Amino acid sequence: MPVEARRFSFVEVDKSLGVASSLPYLPLTLSYQDASLSVSGLLDTGSTVNVLPYDIGRQLGAVWDRQTTSVRLTGNLARFEARSLIVSATVAEFERVRLAFAWTRADNVPLILGQVNFFLEFDVCFFRSQKVFEIKPKES
Amino acid sequence: MITELLPKVQALPRADKLRLMQFLVFEFAREEGITLLQPDEEYPIWTPYDAFDAADTLLNALKEEQITYAS
Repeated sequence: MPVEARRFSFVEVDKSLGVASSLPYLPLTLSYQDASLSVSGLLDTGSTVNVLPYDIGRQLGAVWDRQTTSVRLTGNLARFEARSLIVSATVAEFERVRLAFAWTRADNVPLILGQVNFFLEFDVCFFRSQKVFEIKPKES
Repeated sequence: MITELLPKVQALPRADKLRLMQFLVFEFAREEGITLLQPDEEYPIWTPYDAFDAADTLLNALKEEQITYAS
């Protein structure tokens, strides 16, 4: 039986700017070992990878020194060290998936959901003019 | 009013026309409440849009994890 897509609204980051500041933030729950955390991730089709801010990884109980695989990021994030961290993620009522993040030492960065591997796990359709997006798990 | 202005605008040197155009764009944006990028300011762009090495590293990490769980 096909899974129905879930619809979410764009979030106005700055109320005074209204539609000019609307971004597709997706609520999701991240789990790592025994810890779980409700977060909001920016759907960023231009990003090649998922990016996890340092503090969120720390809140999940991840230990920097135990993550030994280095990840080389680009742009403004290039100056921060990043390491690979795989966590479980639950979106709405969909089945839990494994997401691989570039866990960056930077904190003033949004949690980014990018091509690898968020968009490999979920199909997303943007309706920017209506300020909504729809999401459903990939069809296997 | 505009009919008086247009010949004067037409007579402006090219550089001044560009400055006028820029001024009008900022005016429109200000009236609409949109903040435009300012010259000589730095703005962070967090999107790692061409981090293909990083993407490859993460995909390999996922594959290794699958192999570990399967064995």
